[in-house]
Amino acid sequence: MLRVAWRSLTAHRLRTFLTTLAILLGVAMICGTYVLSDQIDSGFKDIFTNAYKGIDVTVTRKAKFSGEMTGATAGLPESMVAQVKAVNGVADAYGYVAGTGAVAVDGKVASTGGSPTLFFSYAPGDVSNATYVQGGHPAAPGQVSIIQKLAKDKNLGIGSKIDVITPGGSETVTVSGIFTFGAESSLGGSILIDTTLADAQRWFDMKGSVSTIDAKAEAGVSPDTLAGRVRTALPAYADVKTGTQAATDQTKQISDAIGGFLRPVLLSFGGIAVLVGAFIIFNAFSMTVAQRRREFAMLRALGASRRQVLGVVTGEALVMGILASVLGILVGLAIAAGILRLFAAANIDIPHSGLVLAPRTIVVALAVGIVVTLLSAVVPATRATRVPPMAALQEGASLPPSRFARFTRYIAIVVAILGALAIAAGMYGPGNTTSRLGTIALGAVFLFVAVAMVSRYIIRPLAGVLGWPLQRVSPVSGRLARDNSRRNPGRTAATASALMIGLGVVVFVAVFAQGLKTSFIDSFDRVVRADFIVQGKNFLPLPSDTAGKVQGAVGVQTAAAVQAQQAQIGGKTTAIYAVDPVAFQQVWKFDWLKGGTDAVLAKLGTDGVLVEEQTASTLGTGVGKTVTLTTVDGKQAKLKVVGVYRDPIMLNGVIMTDAAYQSIFTKPQLFMVFATTGTGASVSETQASLKAALATVPTADVQTAQEYKDGIVKQVNQLLNLLYGLLAMSVIISVFGIVNTLVLAVFERTREIGLTRAIGMSRTQVRATVRYESVITSIIGAIMGIVVGVVFAWVVTTRFAGQGITFSIPGVQLVVFLIVGVIVGIIAAILPARRAAKIDILEAIHYE
Amino acid sequence: MSDNVDTTTIVNKEGAAPATCEAGTTVGLEDAVVQARGVERDYGQGDALVRALAGVDIDLQRGAYTAIMGPSGSGKSTLMHILAGLDKPTAGNVWIDGLEITTLKERALTQLRRDKIGFIFQTFNLLPTLTAAENITLPLTIAGRKGDAAWVDELIKTVGLGDRLTHKPSELSGGQQQRVAVARALASRPAVLFADEPTGNLDSRTGEEVLQLLRQSRDKLGQTIVMVTHDAHAATYADRIVFLKDGAIAHDCGRLGRDDVYEVIKSLEDA
Repeated sequence: MLRVAWRSLTAHRLRTFLTTLAILLGVAMICGTYVLSDQIDSGFKDIFTNAYKGIDVTVTRKAKFSGEMTGATAGLPESMVAQVKAVNGVADAYGYVAGTGAVAVDGKVASTGGSPTLFFSYAPGDVSNATYVQGGHPAAPGQVSIIQKLAKDKNLGIGSKIDVITPGGSETVTVSGIFTFGAESSLGGSILIDTTLADAQRWFDMKGSVSTIDAKAEAGVSPDTLAGRVRTALPAYADVKTGTQAATDQTKQISDAIGGFLRPVLLSFGGIAVLVGAFIIFNAFSMTVAQRRREFAMLRALGASRRQVLGVVTGEALVMGILASVLGILVGLAIAAGILRLFAAANIDIPHSGLVLAPRTIVVALAVGIVVTLLSAVVPATRATRVPPMAALQEGASLPPSRFARFTRYIAIVVAILGALAIAAGMYGPGNTTSRLGTIALGAVFLFVAVAMVSRYIIRPLAGVLGWPLQRVSPVSGRLARDNSRRNPGRTAATASALMIGLGVVVFVAVFAQGLKTSFIDSFDRVVRADFIVQGKNFLPLPSDTAGKVQGAVGVQTAAAVQAQQAQIGGKTTAIYAVDPVAFQQVWKFDWLKGGTDAVLAKLGTDGVLVEEQTASTLGTGVGKTVTLTTVDGKQAKLKVVGVYRDPIMLNGVIMTDAAYQSIFTKPQLFMVFATTGTGASVSETQASLKAALATVPTADVQTAQEYKDGIVKQVNQLLNLLYGLLAMSVIISVFGIVNTLVLAVFERTREIGLTRAIGMSRTQVRATVRYESVITSIIGAIMGIVVGVVFAWVVTTRFAGQGITFSIPGVQLVVFLIVGVIVGIIAAILPARRAAKIDILEAIHYE
Repeated sequence: MSDNVDTTTIVNKEGAAPATCEAGTTVGLEDAVVQARGVERDYGQGDALVRALAGVDIDLQRGAYTAIMGPSGSGKSTLMHILAGLDKPTAGNVWIDGLEITTLKERALTQLRRDKIGFIFQTFNLLPTLTAAENITLPLTIAGRKGDAAWVDELIKTVGLGDRLTHKPSELSGGQQQRVAVARALASRPAVLFADEPTGNLDSRTGEEVLQLLRQSRDKLGQTIVMVTHDAHAATYADRIVFLKDGAIAHDCGRLGRDDVYEVIKSLEDA
């Protein structure tokens, strides 16, 4: 029986190929995602293992939590180095200061494609893996050595002058040496700067402290033993780890950050592609099984049991699934390699190792490909078993309805309800973000399936309406196309549904993003009174004296600085902002809740805070309540909530005075400066004078309010385009699906087409018929996708309405998507139309 | 194995049935491999009720080549479908090799089709993706049996397809395809072989080849054959011709010559 299945596959190669392709691409995307993230993980692992090679024990200050905005911690006292050295078994120990900042050459900041610029202070006896290719380590204050990549990019050599920009300000230094790290000329795209201890302490406000103390063990002493000894020798706030442990921890931290974001996103796109593929396989199998009705009947007449017939069809599905999985793995490897190449082309240097094809990846790819193909083919396969032996003697190519055909309507309703429940559970229910997103995704899948099941009832009227203009334009071809697409509503529905899924997600993303953009602009216009916004490039903090420089620029009336930090309140990491209430009121209009007024600003003092509405609800606090704040160093402060304001987008967190900030956090961290222009000063002149005033701060970005808004919108659009690109894969798969369906339909109607040609229909008309039918089907798919996408976006937006996201329909884009639907239909029809036109009349009429 | 029934007849020129044909039915044969009693088959309901078979009793003898003929609408195809277990009668019973088949469940019917029944169709119904040889052994593959290699070889020799065995149906002529179908039907040595208009899609010469093949299988291999046909020439190959009209057996004749067959049919149509 397997032979029957195999032969049937090889006899119709194009059909098999197109059907397999549907699931192959989805598997490839999933496999590619795993391979890519594994390669990146492995790349980082290499880096950190390298970084900690030779370091047996490393000591840092315990951090209560990790956050991107926490900046440098208080560090460890310099005196601790001697303490560590004194521990039994330590061969040598040294301390260094580490921090992030930026480097500018000739007034332009060296860009790193998003990776940080890292500063380390040099210590004698340092066992780091820096190998000098030119010159040597910084010997005196004012000297730095740089990593080779920076030297190459900016054409620097020994003696070159560069500017280092740190929280301490901007300073010009001289290059004393150029090094490589391990075998890399850069560290995952990061720029590394080696400095003297004194300079680093000054720049990062760590006088008398170091960030880390590294120690080497004497021969015969294991790192674990030494770590234990050092731990006992040091106070509790010192975090002691072995070098290997630190490497593992840091690798995990990055891998969680990347994996937590990159992998789920890419996997969901792969999931969408797989779902589209499932629809296509279901459709393809339904059609081929119907066409082979007589064959199955004959097998039954010869004594094949129902199970054997099921085995034939399932066998075909199994072979296709295996083929799709295996090829999908290969294509997935290519995808991963391609993405890395794209990154490199965009100058984003993501660390990655060579090919990593983990067993888990292979198993998942095989499982997905095989299981999805089998599941999709199960219903058509079962219907094949219900073909009675009598059918061998009859004409016609339609299957007996499945046992549950009568209940389709009700099953669809049940599935839709399950889907809605799942989505509601994901949106309003408990659980962490990942599991909730997963539940929402599952609910969405159910809804798509339910819509597909029900769509057959709207096909007739919808195709009638869409086909009407075609019929007017082309009385013969248009009419035939219109009738053909209504003939088998189930088949048209399944084909259109494949397109619906891809476009549905695209539309959802577009509408949701439109809402984001609109609400951001609305929110901005409502609260921001400033004319200018100064921010650090790449979200770097600005030097503390920037606010003063801004205030001093000609034309500026008020400059208000905003500091930003992260702290934990009630166990949740929260954004903390610090302002001078008087100046801030000039640039910001508070949107108070519950009858609050600007008067509460006077009540802030050193222990009062304002809390944003969403933050307040997350933390479970309100006006009059007290909250306990914990810094990353573990310091605690009790604060009183004096007001609640609404601003879910820009300053969503806790606002305190600069005085309060200073008493709680050790280091200032300037985030943005708002500025208003004085009356009589022109905006463009003020902008020019601002830029001049900040010429010594190359990391400062000066934007007008409008430019700032446009910038955010542009970023959202860039992200959108990336998402569209990923979703385009699903649309392409559904195009293959339409092609497959049409090819099968043409095959099925061979005799019919032959007859119409025999009575005078031209080849052109035949092609046109196929093309029109394709366009009708794809427009139906596009309409369904747009409706589903808009509705889904509306539901989700309503859920987040509290966070300020509005529902806004991007009309122009929807029209574009509709046009895309038409184009998809035209392209998909090319191959089947040619086949239809090539049909030989005589052969066709005698076709059995 | 039974003797060859070979009777010549003299036709009554006034149109009455030839002497060897009885007006009733032949039942109560010894060694009847297929038996039917009171078989009725209705389609539709109420005003649209169509009575395809109106109570048929018949026995088919083992080792005999029986033809079933009749004008269109006589119910001959319906009768064959029911005798072969492809269709269930509205009333009545059918036995194949002593086993009552109208109440059999699907699984038992499947078993029956594997072991006891062989089919030849008008439209050949070969699997287009298998070679001739694979099509012939298909019933055995389905049953999971290896079959008798010697038997299959002999079949292939008898059927005369030696050099075309590796060809697919699309590469064979109509006559060759039907011969493959015959070989396939005989491969599992069924108790009875049902043929539905086997020469319907063939020209006279190739039809001849197939008919001779069927006759040979009856003569040399003792195969029981039941053939529905409207082709008078084909019917002359049979040992016994049963004529149906309006859902009932009109005549049950022995071997007839072609002109006699025409006469009987004419008499059926005139009446």
